[in-house]
Parts: sequence; C-alpha cells; structure tokens
Amino acid sequence: MTQDALYLLPAAAIRQLQGDVAGGLHFALSPDEDAGAFEVLDDFDRSLGRTGRVLIAGPGRLELVTAGGLLSQPADAARFVPALAEGPVKQALADLSPLRRLLPQAGGRVQTAMLALLDDEGKTRARAALRFLRDGVGEDIALVQPRGLRGYGEALALLRDQLLAHGGTVADGRLLRRHLLAPEGETYTAKPEIGIEPEDTAFDVASDIILAHLPVMRANEPGIIADLDTEFLHDYRVALRKIRSVLSLFKGVYGQGQTADLKARFSALMAPTGRLRDLDVYLIDRPALAALVPAPLQPGLQRMFALFEAERGVVQARLARELGAKSHHKEMTALFKLFNGRRLLRHGPAADRPAQDLARQLIWKRYRQITRSGANLTEATPDAAVHALRIHCKKLRYLLEFFAPAFPDPRFGAALRPLKRLQDSLGQFNDCSVQQDSLRAFVAGLDAAVPDRLDIAQSVGALIAALHSRQLAERSRIAAGFAGFNDDLTREIYRDMFCDQEEAA
Amino acid sequence: MKIIACYSNKGGVGKTATAANIAHEFAAAGQRVLLCDLDPQGASSFYFRVKPSKKLVEGAFFEDVAKLTDAIRGSDFDNLDILPANMSFRDFDVFLSRLRNSRSRLKKALKSVKGDYDLVVLDCPPNISTLSESVFKAADAVLVPVIPTTLSQRTFEQLLDFFDQNDLPRRKIHAFFSMVQQVKSLHTETIAAMLAAHPKRLMQARIPFAAEIERMGLHRAPVAITEPKSTAAQAYRDLHREFAERLAAE
Repeated sequence: MTQDALYLLPAAAIRQLQGDVAGGLHFALSPDEDAGAFEVLDDFDRSLGRTGRVLIAGPGRLELVTAGGLLSQPADAARFVPALAEGPVKQALADLSPLRRLLPQAGGRVQTAMLALLDDEGKTRARAALRFLRDGVGEDIALVQPRGLRGYGEALALLRDQLLAHGGTVADGRLLRRHLLAPEGETYTAKPEIGIEPEDTAFDVASDIILAHLPVMRANEPGIIADLDTEFLHDYRVALRKIRSVLSLFKGVYGQGQTADLKARFSALMAPTGRLRDLDVYLIDRPALAALVPAPLQPGLQRMFALFEAERGVVQARLARELGAKSHHKEMTALFKLFNGRRLLRHGPAADRPAQDLARQLIWKRYRQITRSGANLTEATPDAAVHALRIHCKKLRYLLEFFAPAFPDPRFGAALRPLKRLQDSLGQFNDCSVQQDSLRAFVAGLDAAVPDRLDIAQSVGALIAALHSRQLAERSRIAAGFAGFNDDLTREIYRDMFCDQEEAA
Repeated sequence: MKIIACYSNKGGVGKTATAANIAHEFAAAGQRVLLCDLDPQGASSFYFRVKPSKKLVEGAFFEDVAKLTDAIRGSDFDNLDILPANMSFRDFDVFLSRLRNSRSRLKKALKSVKGDYDLVVLDCPPNISTLSESVFKAADAVLVPVIPTTLSQRTFEQLLDFFDQNDLPRRKIHAFFSMVQQVKSLHTETIAAMLAAHPKRLMQARIPFAAEIERMGLHRAPVAITEPKSTAAQAYRDLHREFAERLAAE
C-alpha cells in the first residue's frame, strides 16, 4: 500500500510562492493545465463522510484521502465497490456496503501544475505535484504532493517546511471534505434515534416513531425512482415495516377505526414494493444460488435469471411511476401532517399510558411467548410454527429497538445480542422456505411460449431441492440459537429489566 | 538490470550527447535508468545540471559503497537518476566488476527508491584501453557512435579486431552513424560501404550533425525536452526504438 504525504493549501498561497527564495533555492511554478473533471463520491449513507474519508474520481485516477494520507489507483467507471479493479483504494473501501452505489456529492475541474525548488543552475532539487480543485463553491484549494528526488533529501525537507509555513496542513479526509463539500446539515440516517422521556405517553412515542420514519421513506424515493442501487428500496421498506409494526404492536394507542385506516394506508404503500424486492434478492444472491446447482443445469438457471432481470425492469419502472405520481406525494404529505400535528389522530384506550410502562409489558409478554414456543421446538415442528417464532422474534426486536432510549441499562445490549443470533438462523430458514415457494410459483406460472421452458423448470427444480436441504440444515441451527437465547443469564436480564415485579411475584 | 556502455575509442563523436539523450529516451519509455557519468571530459551530468560530488572527486570511495550510492542524484525527469563520478581507472574497474556481480553490496545499494534500476547507462571515458576489456565484459551492449569518415571507419574496424582478439562476442556491438551530414558525399559513400561490410553491427537510425545537439550545452537538457520537434530529437527517438528492439531480441 503506497501512502504519500499530501498537503492542503489555499490555491492563492501556492501561487504566491512563485519566485520566493528559501535556503538558497527558489520556487518555480509551471503554468496550469486543465486535466479534466473530478467528482467527490460517497454512498447514500455517507459511509465515507462519517469516517472522515474523501473519495475523488479525478482525471485518470481514483483516489482516497484518509487520515493516513493518499491512496491511489487507476480511474474506474465502476460505481460499486466490488466491481472496482483491485487496488489500494478498493482495499480501503472494503468496509462499505457492496450493494451501495457510489454517488457524486460534489465536483468541478482539476488543474494540474508542478511546483519546483531550483538551485542556481536551474536544477530541480525538489518538487511537488499540484492539483487545484475548483468546485465553484468555496475558495480553490490545492492538493500538494511533494516528490523527492534521489540525493536531495535536504531540499525535500525544506519544501515540506515551506508548505507548512505558507498555511499548508497535512491533508486528511475530514479537512478536505470541509473544503470540498457544502456544510452538511441534518444528515440522512436510515435508523433515526427517537428520544423517550420518562413522562412520554405511549401515544407520544408511537407517533414520534412513525413521524421519524416518514422522512426516511421520502429520502429513499429518488434513489428508487432513479434505480441507483437496491438499498434505497430496502431501506424504504424497512422504514415502512417499522411504522406498520408500531401500529400492530402498540395496541390500543390509536382509536380502533384510526388504527384500521392507518394500517390500510401503510399496507397500500408497501404492496407495490414486494415483487421488486423479491427480484432484487434473487439477483443479489445470483452467484450463491447458481453455486447450488450442478453445471449441466446452469444454462436453465441462467435463463431464469434473465427472465428475472427482464421482469425487474418492468416492475421497477412501474414502481418508479407510482412513487413519482402526484397521488403518492399527496398521501405522504398527508401522513406527515397527520403525525406532525397529531390533533386529528384519534386516541385509543392505551394512548395515555406511560410509554415505558407499556414497553415493559409488551417486551415481557413477547419474550414469554418466544420462550414458550421455542421450548417446544423439535425436528418435527411444522414450518408454520417456526415462522410464528420468527415473527415473535422480529416483533421483540422492533420493541427493543424502539424503546432502547427508554432503558439506558448497560445490560440492554446483552438482551439484544442472543436475540440477533436467533433471528439470523430464523431468517435464513425463512428465506429458504419463502424462496422455494416463490420458485415453485415461478415454474407454475411459466408461459408455454417461453423457449427452453422445460430446461428452466428442471434447473429451478434442482435449486428448490438445494434450498430445501439448506433449510433443513438451518433448522438444526435454530435450536442452538434458541438455547443461547433461553439461558439463565438472558432470562435474568429480561426479568430484571422488563418484568413487572408484582406480576413476577 | 541491463548495462549499456556508451563507448568510442575516438573523441568528439557525440558520445556524451548520445548517452544523455538515449538515457532520457529509455526513462521516458518507463524504464528506471541510472546514467553513470564516468567520463571527466564528457560530463553528461553537466547536461542534467547535476553538480559533481566533491566526495566522489576525492576518490577512494569504493571502500564505502554507501558513499557512492549517496552520490546518486535524481534528474529533473521521471525514472532517470544520475551518478556524477570522476573515477580513477582502478576505481572504474572495480565499479564494473561489482556492477555485474548481483550479490555485491554495490548492486544491492543501487536499488533505487522504487526498486532496482532496469537499465544502467555508462558514459565511458575514451582511451580506456587498459580497461576496455572489463567494460565490454560487464556490458550487455556497447553503443558505439561512428562518424561516417574514413578515419572513423578505421577506428571502428580496430574495435571489431579488439573484440576478436579478446574472444569477446561481436554481437554486443551496436553501432550507429553519428554527426551525419547528408550533403557530404564522403559521408554517404562511407555509410554505404560500412553498411555493406557490417550489416549486423550497424543500426539504421542516424543522428544528424545538428545545431540543436550542440545547443544542449546551452540548454542543459535533452533535445527531446528543449526541441522536441527537431530532426535531432526525432533521430534519438528512432535510435532508441531500434536499439531497444535489438536489446529485447537478445
């Protein structure tokens, strides 16, 4: 990994160096050359911004400025990390989601020049490659990369000192970001934190959670419409699912008719997204699924993926139209107003209960349900019962996450961790099961006019069989996950934190 | 790492200009090049504005390899470093033998910042008769400028004889015509005669007698930099291409 020292100076400060004398050497600046356009890239979650890094797609190079310096590799048209050519920049981006597209955040033109320290015979003793970044927003800045020449170490040290003396700083990502990007206001997060005060009512908290997730949905709409990456839809659906779970979990918080109306409205928003997400999951898992099927059956499987891809195009365009429609915008605005104002929301019998109190009751009840149905789990338990367990776990997870701020107990994490592990197994089990059903439906629905229909059916049959055996393997892991969740320590934590002491007695 | 000796047993043939320009051409083509200025009269380091190292002038530096490699200076051009060295004959001989020995400390010390050099170009002193044999043994190729005159023709044939007498392979010799003046019928006749006599030893590329090459002493930079569109610059590019092909073919 090559990390070169990189300095950051106002462009004007560099220009003033022309002709300056230092240590018997004088500065010479070559004329600027326009090198082309640059873009600052980041994903929608600002994964780079949050970690103080700046990724620059400039003329000919893809460069990452970190706290440790500059990493560089040849320019790349790819905008997903896994698709980038191997190199130090790709390596340093390994922590980013492979599913996230790198999107332009800012951009402008790059001018290059060379700054040299010359001796009395006009020999270069040290020099620095200059890149003036002009984004048309703030003051032009110069990225300065000193380059030593063999045998002239002293001149290089002098050059570095001079850069610092003229207002230069050793560049790191955070600093460069401040220069290149407009100040970031409220940054987007897919997981907004909702503060819960002890005096908050259940109505307050439920409405706060819903209100906080509506902007998450809205923020993801443009990315879904432009089909930038699959995570926009995923995050949109997660936010929507959380809203819906509030409506079903916080029983009695809203009036009966109100709850039914809200459920119907949010369900209507979810409905058009399901098929696209299913297809996304198939296509994301494409290599892993293909690996489950023997070589002779690959052509049929690839035909299936081709059909999925074609269908995805149609389904995506349809969803994009719906999300772009005035009616959608009107509905989202109306929902936002409803939860922002709240005067029109009809209260239910549990509306005024203290939120923490309600949370305890709901979490404890859900915990007991899971331990009861988990205890009866055997190899012979029907799939439906396993699914029911998964739903319970999911609801418990939402409850814990919603109410986390109300329980600033250090053991809260210990309550959540074994649940996450159990959920992983249940999730895998469920995915296998759901995919088998959906693949069977796909085969049954294959139009007689589709060429190679029999080949496809045969390949999909093999895939279903493979998913089935994977599902069986996953089932045996569920029991272990459940044991981890159901141990004495976890039970004690749940009891201490969430069980009403009178009820326990 | 390949070693090229820029050599002529006759002075004033454009040897140093050749060493400087050809080293620059190889570096511009992406090879990591060390140009060793071993000719006190030629001063190829002068062309690159590198001041001679006082330490090295004082001699006896071979006892300290670090001293020698410390004397290497980066030129103003990427991939091209210069060793400004006025060596005694004895030092030069030791230098050559160590250069060839891959296990020598010199060889290891020569590793540049980016690793080893791909090419070492020696601007050899003329009249090194006592050392010629070591130079020719150490070098992978001997680049010989020849002015197309009767006198130079004789000197060139003496060089070939020297190779034969010392059991050195003639194929190491890569000669080319230098300071060529097309208007002189003597030049064109000599070229024709020599090409007929030594078709394998003489390259096609020719360096003209040109003012821009003489002006190198004034500009102190390769002609490819100061006068890139000149015929001389084109001639050095052609020479580099042909010579590089011959080196690769070996």
